[in-house]
Amino acid sequence: MKPQNLIALLLFIVGAVWALTRSERTVRNIQSTYYSAISPFLKSGASIETKASEFIQEVEHSKKWEMKYKLAKEELDQRRMEVAHLRKLEAENTHLNQALKFQKNVPFHVIAAKIIRRQPSTWWHTVTIDRGDKHGVGVQLPVLSPEGLVGKIDAPSKDTSTVILLTDEKCQVSAKIDGTPEAGIISGLRDTAEGSPHLLLRFLSKDANIKPGMLVFTTGRGGLFPADILLGTIKTFEPGPLFGEAIVEPAVDFKALKTVFVKIPKPLTSIGEIGAATANSTNQ
Amino acid sequence: MSKYHFSIILLILAACMVQQFSPAIPTLFGARVLILPLVFLCCCVCVDFASMLLLAFICGFLWDAQHTLGAQGGDPAIYADPVESLRFGYSIILYAMMGLLMQFVQPIFRKAKWHTSAILAGVGIFSYLFAEYLLLNFVRGDFTFPPSVLYRIYLSSALTMFFSPLVFWIISQLASSYHYSIRYEGLRQKHRYID
Repeated sequence: MKPQNLIALLLFIVGAVWALTRSERTVRNIQSTYYSAISPFLKSGASIETKASEFIQEVEHSKKWEMKYKLAKEELDQRRMEVAHLRKLEAENTHLNQALKFQKNVPFHVIAAKIIRRQPSTWWHTVTIDRGDKHGVGVQLPVLSPEGLVGKIDAPSKDTSTVILLTDEKCQVSAKIDGTPEAGIISGLRDTAEGSPHLLLRFLSKDANIKPGMLVFTTGRGGLFPADILLGTIKTFEPGPLFGEAIVEPAVDFKALKTVFVKIPKPLTSIGEIGAATANSTNQ
Repeated sequence: MSKYHFSIILLILAACMVQQFSPAIPTLFGARVLILPLVFLCCCVCVDFASMLLLAFICGFLWDAQHTLGAQGGDPAIYADPVESLRFGYSIILYAMMGLLMQFVQPIFRKAKWHTSAILAGVGIFSYLFAEYLLLNFVRGDFTFPPSVLYRIYLSSALTMFFSPLVFWIISQLASSYHYSIRYEGLRQKHRYID
């Protein structure tokens, strides 16, 4: 091997060892800096994605309308279009009302966030939201939807945050089965690309009387998630040699999820508070 | 370091940004075009060993900065069995191994047989994803390999491979712009060290 290559190899090994031995905090700082740097690209990427999907929908609609135009009168088509538009507005209104109602009704402070990117990595079930440090979003904060628990904040940066979804194996939640004394740890399965994702509820009693359709809620223990947030419904139960395991169907439709709510310690109302939160996150 | 090498680093950074616009395709088992690994693999054929290691470090570092998951958190009494994740920095090693694989085909690439390199880029991506999944199984235990994982790896590699001629074309344009000739100086042993 040439001396130049040998030196390069040694430097590479030193660099790799340095990277592998970084502490959790240093890694978090690196990730925060990285996400702050790419945040403009993430946002523009999200807007391009939205425009592209709107364009595809528009193309599909155009084809349908063209076929209908040949079959029906112009006036009838116009009215149908109006009705379709009204229905779209109605659905949007219902969705917004539901979100607003949820935000008002929950017994803790939440901040609404829009999902700007889905599954950015190959193996992890994560999404990116458009709320970060400057909006009061911190690491490990629970992320909810009106249907139930979505996940928790994994890596917040200044403007955006990564949310690790409940369907990921790494997102563990202390859970209980409604109507029974049974409690365990629920998490996602390693790979659930086929069909809808399911959850695995472990550490249940092997002789527990658990039936399909029973509701699963958070216990509130463990210091991460508030109590009595719906997680899903029992699909199957398998008693094992030591513990029982149940497959749970999540309450949240993760594919259709657009808006989520992050539980924050207290609402950031004034500009001063937002500024202070930003300064704190920068200093950490 | 020449202007060409700087341009390659800039290309890598650009690929990292473009990667943000590459969504997973749910109908294809969540497969996606892996632009950053592809650009890295294509660049590896066109640079010397030392530069390849530098690129592996940059790419692995950026990749892990984006993808590394944090600790479980919460009360250890409740979450007594936390799920392990891959450490920050593991991608640096994986990238270097992929880069090494590509360096072996450098002599073929010099003979203008870019097809082999393009196919090998697909093989490299496949190996990378496969190794990553095996590592994940290793640190988390309970080895599982459902068909959907194989499909995702295979489709990601195949989709990515289709873009390799474009990347090779961009690299060749950069090389000709900066009057850089791709030489094979890799890991060839010289007689003077044996004597």
